[in-house]
Amino acid sequence: MMRTLTNPLARWGFGIIAVVVLMALFAPWIAPYDPDDIDVKAILLSPDAAHWMGTDGLGRDVYSRMLFGARISLLVGFVAVGIATFIGVILGAVAGFYRGWVDIVIMRLVDVMLAIPTFFLILAVIAFLTPSIWNIMIVIGLTSWMGVTRLVRAEFLSLREREFVLSAQTLGATNARLIFMHLLPNSLTPIIVSTVLGIASAVLVESGLSFLGLGVQAPQASWGNILTDGKEYIQFAWWLSLYPGMAILLTVLGYNLLGEGLRDALDPRNTGARD
Amino acid sequence: MTQYLLKRLFWMVPLLVGISLISFLIMHLAPGDITTTEAGFNPKASEESRQKLRKIYHLDEPLIVQYGLWLKRMGTLDFGESFAAHQRPVLWQTKDKPGSPGMIQEALPITLLINILGLVLILATALPLGLISAVYQNRPPDRAITVFVFIGFAVPGFWLALILMYWLGVTHNWLPISGIHSLGYETMTWPAQWLDIGRHLVIPVFISTLGGLAGISLFVRNGMLDVLHQDYITTARAKGLSEPTVVYRHALRNALLPLITLLGLSIPGLIGGSVIAESLFAIPGMGKLFYDAVLMRDFPVIMGILTIGAALTMIGNLLADLAYAWADPRVRRGVAG
Amino acid sequence: MPRNLVVSVTLMLVACGRPDVVQHVDLDQSYPTQAGGTLIDAMTGEPSNLISMLAGESAAAAIAGNIFNSLLKYDKNLELVGELAQSWEVSPDQKSITFHLKPGMLWADGKPLTSNDVLFTWRLVTDEHTRTPYGADYKLVQKAETPDPLTFRVTYAQPYAPALDSWAGLHILPQHLLHDQDINTTAFARHPVGSHYYQLSEWKNGERITLIRNPHASQGQARIDRLVSRFIPDPAAQFLELMADNIDSMNLSPIQYARIFPARPELLKKIAQYRELGNAYTYLGFNLHHKPWDDKRVRLAINYAIDKQELIDGVLLGLGESIASPYKPGTRWSNPALKPYPYDPKRALALLKEAGFEDHDGDGLLDRNGKPLSFEILTNQNKERQMSAVLIQRRLKDIGIDAHIRVLEWASFIGRFIKTGDFDVVVLGWSLGQEPDQFNIWHSSQMDPGKFNFIGYSNPTVDHLLEAGRLELNPDKRQTLYHSFAKQLYDDSPIVYLYAGYGLPAIHKRVRGIDSPAPPAGIGHNSYEWYIPEPLRRNEISQ
Repeated sequence: MMRTLTNPLARWGFGIIAVVVLMALFAPWIAPYDPDDIDVKAILLSPDAAHWMGTDGLGRDVYSRMLFGARISLLVGFVAVGIATFIGVILGAVAGFYRGWVDIVIMRLVDVMLAIPTFFLILAVIAFLTPSIWNIMIVIGLTSWMGVTRLVRAEFLSLREREFVLSAQTLGATNARLIFMHLLPNSLTPIIVSTVLGIASAVLVESGLSFLGLGVQAPQASWGNILTDGKEYIQFAWWLSLYPGMAILLTVLGYNLLGEGLRDALDPRNTGARD
Repeated sequence: MTQYLLKRLFWMVPLLVGISLISFLIMHLAPGDITTTEAGFNPKASEESRQKLRKIYHLDEPLIVQYGLWLKRMGTLDFGESFAAHQRPVLWQTKDKPGSPGMIQEALPITLLINILGLVLILATALPLGLISAVYQNRPPDRAITVFVFIGFAVPGFWLALILMYWLGVTHNWLPISGIHSLGYETMTWPAQWLDIGRHLVIPVFISTLGGLAGISLFVRNGMLDVLHQDYITTARAKGLSEPTVVYRHALRNALLPLITLLGLSIPGLIGGSVIAESLFAIPGMGKLFYDAVLMRDFPVIMGILTIGAALTMIGNLLADLAYAWADPRVRRGVAG
Repeated sequence: MPRNLVVSVTLMLVACGRPDVVQHVDLDQSYPTQAGGTLIDAMTGEPSNLISMLAGESAAAAIAGNIFNSLLKYDKNLELVGELAQSWEVSPDQKSITFHLKPGMLWADGKPLTSNDVLFTWRLVTDEHTRTPYGADYKLVQKAETPDPLTFRVTYAQPYAPALDSWAGLHILPQHLLHDQDINTTAFARHPVGSHYYQLSEWKNGERITLIRNPHASQGQARIDRLVSRFIPDPAAQFLELMADNIDSMNLSPIQYARIFPARPELLKKIAQYRELGNAYTYLGFNLHHKPWDDKRVRLAINYAIDKQELIDGVLLGLGESIASPYKPGTRWSNPALKPYPYDPKRALALLKEAGFEDHDGDGLLDRNGKPLSFEILTNQNKERQMSAVLIQRRLKDIGIDAHIRVLEWASFIGRFIKTGDFDVVVLGWSLGQEPDQFNIWHSSQMDPGKFNFIGYSNPTVDHLLEAGRLELNPDKRQTLYHSFAKQLYDDSPIVYLYAGYGLPAIHKRVRGIDSPAPPAGIGHNSYEWYIPEPLRRNEISQ
């Protein structure tokens, strides 16, 4: 991985993501307190040696909640984008491989989805279905597959005409074999890049939903809802908004730098080769 | 060209039907309807009277009948009246109610104003940034710009907005904090009125600009890089043309063409992204209207906004394609497309 | 270059028109009473219309309450007094009430206000065609008549004790403007004409409503000229506006009241904080149709396992009271003999053991017949209720009860769970009205979907007491009935009373004439006497 990342910004991005993922994975061992441990005698304490990031409105340790919140925020990003990528790859592959009316129908569906303001759609569905973490992940996933579909379809359309595909076809390869062994592996670059960038967007969407009260709900901590809790005391209990705000900023930044770095690194333009 | 236009227009019909179907279905995922919120949870409200309300709003009809009623109205651009806001027309003022302007009629110009201002600022900033990035590819200016625009994208907008509201509005009292008009707006002269709106829009437009920089500047950067590697640029260089001539006259023009399409596609994102900013800044635009309608289960307003938003997107895409066709001689001559 | 342009435009916008701020005036100096000025407040929601029988939301009630009168009202001590009515009398058989209107009252448009308007309003609210959820009380009236323009008489089939309260809640509408209109669609709903202190001046959709003094006001003249209500949905933005002196009043959260204000002397210097008895209480309610909540021992155990003082300290920062009957603490209906269940986890465990719940398998969770005691606490998107649920969940976990929390937005909450009865435990609130009748909430006949006894409480003694309370007009006898009712509720523990929070209004010190400490009715009861001395007013653009 690091070998392909010649770009130092991408390395920084990778580093940030690695740290965040590790903190999320090892949260139960790193966290100094139980994130749900309430202490009404220690409400809104400013950061000190006992509570590195202070305490929140119920006296819970913000640092521990940030660590556990990282799990939720990253989970939302991974799963939502996983769903979107899954749908996008299948629809894009089918459209690009079979072409004809299947392609037309799928691409019209893409057009319909692209024409509706996505955030409106997410907002309406979450409000109607109740904001559980699973609903949030599914809905973000179901409303963000269009880009991947277009990418994969475009790759397939161009790859299909390449010699190595045509020769495999004349050698009697089945459609499934063609798709999974020849076409898909050669389309991986744009899929990976769009997945990485997609996670960044999903983290932001979750924080936006939290602002509207439709994000991950109490008592589960996510960076979005810690930040939203803190927004009313931004000039007073600054630690309640600064840390989650910075965490979101750095993580999204990290994914973006990584995504762009990968795009650059895997992009033929930079190597000079245009095979 | 005419044939192309007709074909595009023809395809808009199934799209609109698809959009209406999706928005209608989403609405009926919803447990609870207007009668649950209208009567709130007041012990004095009886279930019988709620049933009565349901009947008046046709909520007791089968879904298919309700969809039929809705399609009929959509065909005539009659989105009906709001359930929640006392019979205000959803789309436009009607003749029989002169004093009551349509909800979308009032909200849309505000959202468009903010987004167009934002888009102009984004373009004005992102174009030079993208260009510099491409010219200095992988050198410090490129890196600095990339990090800067990504920070703009990554910062949670409402958090930065609150900090700015506090700093510029409370600490320094330089700018208004929320709303779009000051109290004495009606009595101001028109330059003062414009200044007043402008002052209210500084922070919201700044936030939306910051968030949108990354997309456009990277698009310009990568587009420029693509073009700069192409044969005709190499030829131009080989002919001994100066680097600025190559970059600005030949490369930029070609790199900017796809941007037109991108702008057309960005319309729904802009409208959708307005929910948070408008709620925070108390701006009565489309996003705020939509959010309130969702919480109130105000079906006519929800469907009206989704449909109008989609129609705007399609018009935007159509205009973008036309502009592209006009700007790109290959498309104009019918070679491509 | 474009960036320079952006910067310079921004600077220009910033530099121009800095709002004129009142400076160098002593906010603690006293000033004589004086009419005029503008009061700006903020509300999170916008009314749908201003006819409150149609609107229902609190924003509409707040604004319409300045425009329309009722026959009666509650005074500062929460006693019923006349508003449009000068006096009223109840017939010896206690079935009819005769209201005598004050003479010479006018609508804001100068037309006379008579008993015909009252009759007209009663017909509207009881009309099947009217889309109002509030008709039930008024439909009990068998006959309504107007013997003369200043007299209005209603007759009930049997004595109905909550009747007077209901006439304090019905805004009287002008017949001459509405008689030929469809009430459900009339433009009047957004262009109202009333008889109270203020009339609508301007309604800017999504931005604000401006009221100005009504020269024909039926209750005399208010002092402040203009009331502006700005709609600012985000509480954080509201607070910033208050700090920047762009609004004069808002309701504070406990943290703003108890933490931010004390830490900010410059806020204390210009803004006065008030504390008043809240209008609602928060409770945890059991679905009595579900096991194990049908078992009183389990309900009592949960009651003992919840530390109400910790809730008040944690959620309200001490700005609330615990209650033991569903009435405002300190009022006559509240039974002083009842004390909140103490926090006693040992007792809770003992009761649970009696009911069969013990940690048989040693996994740290109580179980019965192999099934752990596990349930879901449902609440809506209300910050204080959410925090309460989180705290309760934590304390129940401490004694081995596994509770999950589900937070929902209001319409889903009601439509999907409350109406269908598909819930275990809810954290919700009921309002604390002045009328003790709570038939709709606790009577066993009110359990159908959509009715308010959704927890399924059924106790024949309580049914009987509630029925008797409705027929009894003697306040002392009523008091006895409702005290017994509260005792029954207390013993059955179908809900756990969590707390009644204080209302925490903050008002700029330029506003004078406010009663402090707040009387039982709250500080708003004499808002028509509030005034803003001229030197303290904002520099206003003359209109």
